[in-house]
Amino acid sequence: MPKKQIIDPKKTRQSSEITFQPIPANQYQSNFKKELKTHGKERLIRIYEDMLIIREFETMLNLIKTQGAYEGVEYNHPGPAHLSIGQEAAAVGQAVHLSPEDFIFGSHRSHGEILAKCFSAIHQLDDQSLTTIMETFFDGATFNAIKDEAHATTREQAEAFVLYGTLAEIFARDTGFNRGLGGSMHAFFIPFGSMPNNALVGGSADIALGSALFKLINRKPGMVIANIGDASLGCGPVWESFSFASMDQFNDLWDDSFGRPPVLFNIMNNHYGMGGQTAGETMGFDMAARVGAGINPDQMHAERVDGYNPLAVADATQRKKEILASGKGPAFLDIVTYRMSGHSPSDASSYRSKEEMELWEEVDCVKSYGAYLIENGALTTEQLEALQKNTTAKIRRTLELATDTERSPYSDINLIESVMFSNQSVEKMDDREPEVLLAREENPRNNQLARKERYAFDSSGKPFSANKIYTYRDGIFEAMLHRFHTDPTFIAYGEENRDWGGAFACYRGLTESIPYHRLFNSPISEAAIVGTACGYAMSGGRVCAELMYCDFMGRAGDEIFNQMAKWQSMSAGILNMPLVLRVSVGNKYGAQHSQDWTALVAHIPGLKVFYPATPTDAKGMLNLALNGTDPVVFFESQKTYGIGEQFETAGVPEGYYETEEGQPIVRREGTDLTLVTLGPVLYSGIPAADELKQTYGLDVEVIDLRFVNPLNYDVLIESIRKTGRVVLASDAVERGSALHTIASNLTTLCFDHLDAPPVVIGAKNWISPAAEMEKEYYPQADWIIDAIHERILPLNGYTPKQNYTREELTRIANLGV
Amino acid sequence: MASEILMPRQGQSVESCIIIEWKKQEGDPITEGDILCEVETDKATFEVESTATGELLAILHEADADVEVLKPIAIVGENGEDVSAWKNASAQPEPDADATSAPDFTQSQPPKPSIPATTNSSNASEFISSPRARTTAAQRSIDITQLTGSGPHGRVIEQDVLAAKPTPQKTAPLPPGDLGEQTEIPAKGIRKVVAERMLNSLQTTAQLTLNSSVDARSILRFRQLCKQPERQEKFGKVSINDTVLYATVKALNAFPELNAHWAGDRSIQYENIHLGFAVDTPRGLMVPVIKKANTLSLLELSAEAKRLASNCIEGAIDPDDLTGGTFTVTNLGAMGIESFTPVLNAPEVAILGVCAIQPKPIMNGSETEFIPHMGLSLTFDHCAADGAPAARFIAHLREKISNIELTLLETLY
Repeated sequence: MPKKQIIDPKKTRQSSEITFQPIPANQYQSNFKKELKTHGKERLIRIYEDMLIIREFETMLNLIKTQGAYEGVEYNHPGPAHLSIGQEAAAVGQAVHLSPEDFIFGSHRSHGEILAKCFSAIHQLDDQSLTTIMETFFDGATFNAIKDEAHATTREQAEAFVLYGTLAEIFARDTGFNRGLGGSMHAFFIPFGSMPNNALVGGSADIALGSALFKLINRKPGMVIANIGDASLGCGPVWESFSFASMDQFNDLWDDSFGRPPVLFNIMNNHYGMGGQTAGETMGFDMAARVGAGINPDQMHAERVDGYNPLAVADATQRKKEILASGKGPAFLDIVTYRMSGHSPSDASSYRSKEEMELWEEVDCVKSYGAYLIENGALTTEQLEALQKNTTAKIRRTLELATDTERSPYSDINLIESVMFSNQSVEKMDDREPEVLLAREENPRNNQLARKERYAFDSSGKPFSANKIYTYRDGIFEAMLHRFHTDPTFIAYGEENRDWGGAFACYRGLTESIPYHRLFNSPISEAAIVGTACGYAMSGGRVCAELMYCDFMGRAGDEIFNQMAKWQSMSAGILNMPLVLRVSVGNKYGAQHSQDWTALVAHIPGLKVFYPATPTDAKGMLNLALNGTDPVVFFESQKTYGIGEQFETAGVPEGYYETEEGQPIVRREGTDLTLVTLGPVLYSGIPAADELKQTYGLDVEVIDLRFVNPLNYDVLIESIRKTGRVVLASDAVERGSALHTIASNLTTLCFDHLDAPPVVIGAKNWISPAAEMEKEYYPQADWIIDAIHERILPLNGYTPKQNYTREELTRIANLGV
Repeated sequence: MASEILMPRQGQSVESCIIIEWKKQEGDPITEGDILCEVETDKATFEVESTATGELLAILHEADADVEVLKPIAIVGENGEDVSAWKNASAQPEPDADATSAPDFTQSQPPKPSIPATTNSSNASEFISSPRARTTAAQRSIDITQLTGSGPHGRVIEQDVLAAKPTPQKTAPLPPGDLGEQTEIPAKGIRKVVAERMLNSLQTTAQLTLNSSVDARSILRFRQLCKQPERQEKFGKVSINDTVLYATVKALNAFPELNAHWAGDRSIQYENIHLGFAVDTPRGLMVPVIKKANTLSLLELSAEAKRLASNCIEGAIDPDDLTGGTFTVTNLGAMGIESFTPVLNAPEVAILGVCAIQPKPIMNGSETEFIPHMGLSLTFDHCAADGAPAARFIAHLREKISNIELTLLETLY
């Protein structure tokens, strides 16, 4: 809470009322003269042609899906095709006034939006730029498929390029816009401002906002549109995005030069979420535009627009663009449209009447707009028919090219492995000078740290007092401060990140050095925290987002599992995701604040998973994560924030360094048994190793895993070949622990060297209990010895406390606990 | 009320018995006296009778389990009675035989877990070993199946292999294709015990065999006399082997160094002679012991030998009668063996092999006379005795056998 803002009870308790401004609905008045003046005749006709092409493109896909052929070209497309027949005016109208640097993000039903945005950009770019874009995109791989076709102009060629690149992508071809790894629901083409489309309903809301944040914070030109459906207004992350975009701090606390993020939440309101009728059945807003009134005093500049008139949509989008440019976003449009086709080709439209569909057909946007042009003398019937014929030929040819397997080969399946991670080391994502408030040397915490003991023990081996030592949280701080001073695009946010210094004081001292727009408090909107970070990172910035507790990942499930993890590979490597998600693993706070969820993210392809246990690694691994280009879920245990460096006798290095990625580290050498720990269990493992040595003469090698993914097994294999025995322990509940995967792999890799099956120790498969009972819940030093005694090597005279018998294992499995 | 059926004590020296086979299954109705199972010691096999009537509620140890005597092996009672307490108690790990070889950080006897475990006791029948133990055993040419596991559930782990002595390479089995159908007969019971003991004997002693023969006319004549009608009733059962046993006892009186045990660094001589003798039984080789044979007359000796042999053959031998031998005699003469190398019944120092009686040409002046001779093959442990005294013992024994009447006469004075 910023101290300079006072919450005055006199004011907040004062009797008053909230007033609303009327929200306009469908107030566009057609005026051909004015429209001719605004757009010019050529552009007005081009709008029609763009709509026609989209209609034909989608009709073709519909026929391919339902009849296996279009205009005599046969093809079987097994994948999805969510078609937008009927929604062409909305897509094309929106793109009319957008510049190439304006971005649109979309949904699973965005073929039309991709084509419209790209056609609009083609219309604005010169031939040289178009040719360069086509020739350089994937080294010309897409362009090569169409460049020997006859085209009168470069723009026509670019149009064919866009049609082909989109269709080849839908058909999973290596020449598609995303080399076939995105497909129908995710295709995009950045050079023309078409950004990723999203198969999760509403998935683009927070990502588009993150992209707008990138433009805002890095002072990049252009606005960002989130094309989401009316049904997405039922999705929490969409609402989170609305309020995140409306934060008062943009106006009240950030430098005046910024304003609020240039984002337009554009509801493509086709009235159905699959088969659920939003207004009338599944929602209660009546008109979607109403929701703007609840978000901020500007009511998000919400407006309902007739999406069956492309010029009405163009007009509204242009007006919102101006508002966004003045820093007064976010904006909200409720674009009234209708989907003639089913949700997908398997949809028999059983949820809507024939009568309703006929009513919309009567006002069909393509036909109406064509008639409007003829009516006003901009186009003759003959010209219109010629355009139609020409369009059919274009689409037929695009289909021929995209289904020709020689010209359009399928992607090599191994491509996917190569694009799961970008694996780059990039110090900064931009070259400009980073904006900071203090020189690094002047930072008060930085100076305080200079006086701290960077190794936990004095020369006689006695521990320094807690106040004197450099701790784990100091390592986090140093890595963050370094990156703020190195990468101008680097920003960090989350709950209580700024004045409070983070709930666990990792960021204490950053507020003094870093301006608001680079370090700020977010709303308690975990989905939007991660989703915006995804959008920020994929747009070219570097970001560290924070979830105060690991448990809160549940609130950001889609954003972590489907967005953060997948966009590098779904884009075939076009996008990078330099996003570090710091999550703190709690304890003492009961069942919803004390869980280690490394296994959940380790299970999701596309995420790197780090879990440092020492101050040296906290700094070195965060440096590594923040210098990379991949999404990293960075786990930190609250048990370790206050500890000093106990292993590296030289102490935590003062300068910049990175931990080697994926490398476990031997914390103590031994010959009789390998103990692999993840996270804070290291500090239970060491006393266990002491006890095993002193009482049983067993020399334990302790290895701190540090990384869950990627993971180099060499150190583990070497150790197990030596010892033949291995125990793996972490604070995660035992069932499904990430350590089980590692144990399984070690069994495969070291089978003939094993003297007993690897043993995985975790917390009980229960809720985490109150602080007073935690010792009975999380693995303790004696649990490790118990497990060794029971499963690996009976120890002379030892009496176990925990039950690690095979019978107990099957008993709890039977009970599911 | 459910009753425990205990593993019976089969003699003072028996600490535990291995269950060979259950004759009844859980759920079977049981009458007191019914045979529940067959058990064996390293020496003999017995049947265990039920001491209660009712239903067999629980079998606490599966076949092949080694159970201490006087511990419950089964529960008989009324249908539905709760037997879980017994089942849990029986799940304790098995004793580990190989105590001395384990490194210091391990145990020889796993402690009783403080948590009531419910180990499936059938696991005790499986031989289990770790991959690492198998790899190490292969490298060291150790027959891992001979080892006793110190790991969880009796698993043979690396330390067991490291503590074991290498075993000679076994001949690799020939490709089955050349041999037709093959049948594997696992070594169990007495076969397994004999295998272990014989191998151990050959690996831990310095065995040497001396072959000789003795004029058998005296004992053949004596046997004829015994079998004459007027003596048949009293002496008819005295066999040639009994006579040889008797002569051996008398010879041994003068050679206490052969009535002894070798303890690795010392030899222990005994005042009394516990004379073992090999008996071929349907279950395999057994060696009952005639206790204090030096105090018995020929008739007493003969009667005791008959009793012990028939008990062995019938499987009714008291295990105490199978232990404590100080010298052993093994007779293959009836099967026409002319000489052989008996294997020591370690830690005994010597074993006498008795062979077939055959005519032997003897030079008598210029004449060659064919005189029946009985072969004698004495194996002794060169660690404990040298060849010359052993040869002197044979010479002395020949004296005793070739003049059996005199030998018998000596006992009268």
